[in-house]
Amino acid sequence: MKHLILRSAAMAIALTVMTSGAVFAGQGKTYQISVWAIAGPSDIYRIGAIEIAADLLEREYAVRGEPIHINIEGKPYTQQDEFRQGVTLAAEAGTAPNIVVASHIDIAPWAQSGLIVPVEDYVDLDAWPLNDIYPNLLEITSFQDQVWAIPQDAESRPFFFWKPHMKAIGYSDDDLAGLAEKVRSGDYTLTNMLEDAKKMQDAGLVEANKGFWPRPTKGPDYWMFYMAFGGEMEDGNGRLLLDKTAMAAFYQFFVDAVELGVIGKNHIGTPWDQWHGALTTGKVGMWQGGTWQFAEWTGKYGMDFFANAAFSLVPGGGGNGRANTLTQPLVYLMTKQDDEDAMGIAGELITIASEPRINALHAINSAHLGISKAEETVGLYAGDRWTREATPVLLPFASAQPNNVNFGQYFEVMFGGLQAAWTGQKTVDEAIADVETELKAALGDKIVIR
Amino acid sequence: MLKPSSRPHWATKSLSADTKTPPEGEIEMGNSKHLGLWLLAPAGVFVFLFFLAPVILTGVFGFTNMSTATGITGGAYMISDTSMRPLRSRYGENELADRLTQKVYTIDDAGLKAALEAGGDAAAIAELGDKFLDQSFDRRRGVETAIKSLSARPSTTRGIKIISAQFERSVVNVRFDSKEDLLVAISDFGIALNEGQTEALGQVAYTGWTFTTQNFKTMIELPDTSKTLINTLFYVFTTLILFNTGFALVLSITTHYMPAGPAGFFRSIWLLPRVTPPVLYVLMWKWLAWDTGFLSVVLEPMGFAPRNWMLDSPANAWTFIILINGIVGASMGMLIFSSAIKAIPQSLFHASEVDGANRGQQVWHIILPQLRWPILFITIYQTLSLLTSFEYILLATDGGPGGATEVWALSTYLKALSNYGGALQYGYGAALSLVLVIIGISVSLIYLKLFDFKNLTAPPKIE
Repeated sequence: MKHLILRSAAMAIALTVMTSGAVFAGQGKTYQISVWAIAGPSDIYRIGAIEIAADLLEREYAVRGEPIHINIEGKPYTQQDEFRQGVTLAAEAGTAPNIVVASHIDIAPWAQSGLIVPVEDYVDLDAWPLNDIYPNLLEITSFQDQVWAIPQDAESRPFFFWKPHMKAIGYSDDDLAGLAEKVRSGDYTLTNMLEDAKKMQDAGLVEANKGFWPRPTKGPDYWMFYMAFGGEMEDGNGRLLLDKTAMAAFYQFFVDAVELGVIGKNHIGTPWDQWHGALTTGKVGMWQGGTWQFAEWTGKYGMDFFANAAFSLVPGGGGNGRANTLTQPLVYLMTKQDDEDAMGIAGELITIASEPRINALHAINSAHLGISKAEETVGLYAGDRWTREATPVLLPFASAQPNNVNFGQYFEVMFGGLQAAWTGQKTVDEAIADVETELKAALGDKIVIR
Repeated sequence: MLKPSSRPHWATKSLSADTKTPPEGEIEMGNSKHLGLWLLAPAGVFVFLFFLAPVILTGVFGFTNMSTATGITGGAYMISDTSMRPLRSRYGENELADRLTQKVYTIDDAGLKAALEAGGDAAAIAELGDKFLDQSFDRRRGVETAIKSLSARPSTTRGIKIISAQFERSVVNVRFDSKEDLLVAISDFGIALNEGQTEALGQVAYTGWTFTTQNFKTMIELPDTSKTLINTLFYVFTTLILFNTGFALVLSITTHYMPAGPAGFFRSIWLLPRVTPPVLYVLMWKWLAWDTGFLSVVLEPMGFAPRNWMLDSPANAWTFIILINGIVGASMGMLIFSSAIKAIPQSLFHASEVDGANRGQQVWHIILPQLRWPILFITIYQTLSLLTSFEYILLATDGGPGGATEVWALSTYLKALSNYGGALQYGYGAALSLVLVIIGISVSLIYLKLFDFKNLTAPPKIE
């Protein structure tokens, strides 16, 4: 009997403890916040930053005496197509994730279709930390005079030179140190670059077709060469712009490079690992890549970057052209949801995730550039040589692709024409004529053709 | 095809002479007449959901301008920079566009009341009314700065946003569910529209998709459409004739004359590519062909510079694509043809041997005539499957070099589901696939005519 009483008492105590725990845990509303991101293995903080923010926000609410619970459900995607199909179809089905981490070029079509809401309706852009974000990045996340997203990172697509080969064709250490400035001022152009690449090949430093290697797949990087010859993607009034002269010069540049033998006519399609492998071991004279690839080169490929590589903007093409680089920031977007409270929480999470110390975790872990001035002073960021040196050389001169509903179509036509000319399927004139016909047919008065 | 009069006597014996058709009405299903239908009903649901519905939707989508930007489920009416651009350029309504895109946020009684109803902080709202009533701002952030200046300012961003959301009096960047709602809002904003302007606004402000035949016009106008069509026909018929039917016949006939053991072995080998995962299978071809691959290594000593052999020229790319597809495709025909040859009564072969027929004559006079049905089946089946298959091309060349190997199905996929800039053209992609369906049906009808389908299915004359 005594035994029974003891057992009952123990059970009652256990039950009380459990229920009180449940009551405690049940205090305040619970929010399920889902975050879908385009993220490779080194981009864990795209979702991770939101998780850290959730912890901080729960504490803030508890301190304020209004405890809440936030459960973050993260879903990383590595493939763009799959990611976009997933997000758009989920949104059509009414199950869109609360927060999406995507490229800024998704803003225009998603805003038009009502999939996303302007983030400025849910965050305070005039308060810290958002008021410290680089203005040009916030410009990139604006569309139709509204801020639709908060930049999650920044990057840039620079031009690289293999230092030992540059020295072998006559450049001194001082020349190399001043090269980035010569590129910026327009004293070193794409023509000079082709000549140097040819010299390297003639000297036997690199094999034929390996003087100059740009990105081996379709990508926004190629717009930099259009801009290098004076091209603009949009006119001043938000309409897409095809500058035929610049586009032709840009196509011609790649045709010339093939004829000169510094690049292969079937360079597009080179597997990424072959590309990384060649340029990190001095088999390529000059190349154009992305700032974030630094992590891969120095990590997986064991490259001694600073001993071997110099970097600059992409050189201008002479004449009207200008040295430039492109940034395609990933951004935090908020989707349309029925639960306004949850949307408010999502906005607060994005705000906290953009704090310098938290954002620096992603920047350094994935070799991206920071988003705010204060981030430059965070120890982790300031202590990293790559971001410290790359940020001032590249970021102030970075432009971005326009947020325009029809830009995606323009992109595909531009790249189709480039490939046709580059591989010799069409002459440059034929390619430009077809690009013009195609843009007129597909976009009508939504594009200005000069 | 063989004319009956030219056939030797042993070849004219009809297989169907041995079969008997039961007299009509002899088989009575009775009460179970509808059982089959009931049993198939669940399958019917799936057939409808996964086969019929997508085809119908594709047909409908093909006549729309649906894209990522328009959404699938429908749109809204919105005044924005994007919608005002055509209002200016097409309708010349510059002044109207300027007035519509004006932003005004006014602290008024209606807004204060709405803010209270939305759950805004009462003290803050009262103070806002006291200090800022009837003041206007050109940005919502202006209202928020005002709210933040209050002594009773809400402590959270959400608290501020709940209040600031209630004072917008302009129509720009607001999504309206219907045209009527938009027009009411415009009228409330103090802009009177004439009939032409109302009509124009209805056209340009809608963000959703509309029905149109523009996709087909665009298709005809685009310079690459005809090239893609020619690519498709070349790809389908070359692969079909050389491999899926031609080589499959060669395999099945040669293995027919082999002893059972080696014949089975050879057939199994030819099945291997089919059971290899496509991604790995194509990857092996890529390793073979790329500039540090097997071909380059073997050919370099012979004076051929290393290169990406697959993408080196359109001719190379086509050779690889046809080999990649053909080697997989031949195995299916081989299986069907082999089993059909097995079904030919041995007596025919024995009789022909007694008459002194050689292997060639046996193939020509016995095997091929008996294979008309399977050849028709394989030809139609493989044509349709080649028309719609693009996975090996996508993995191997992605349509390269320079679009030289872009076939219709790949082009459809790229337009509808793969766009680097995120502008997926669902409507145009659907229109492209609709054309593919029409091509498929036309080609099948031509085959039926060519193979004389009516005669093939005619009731046996002896019966």
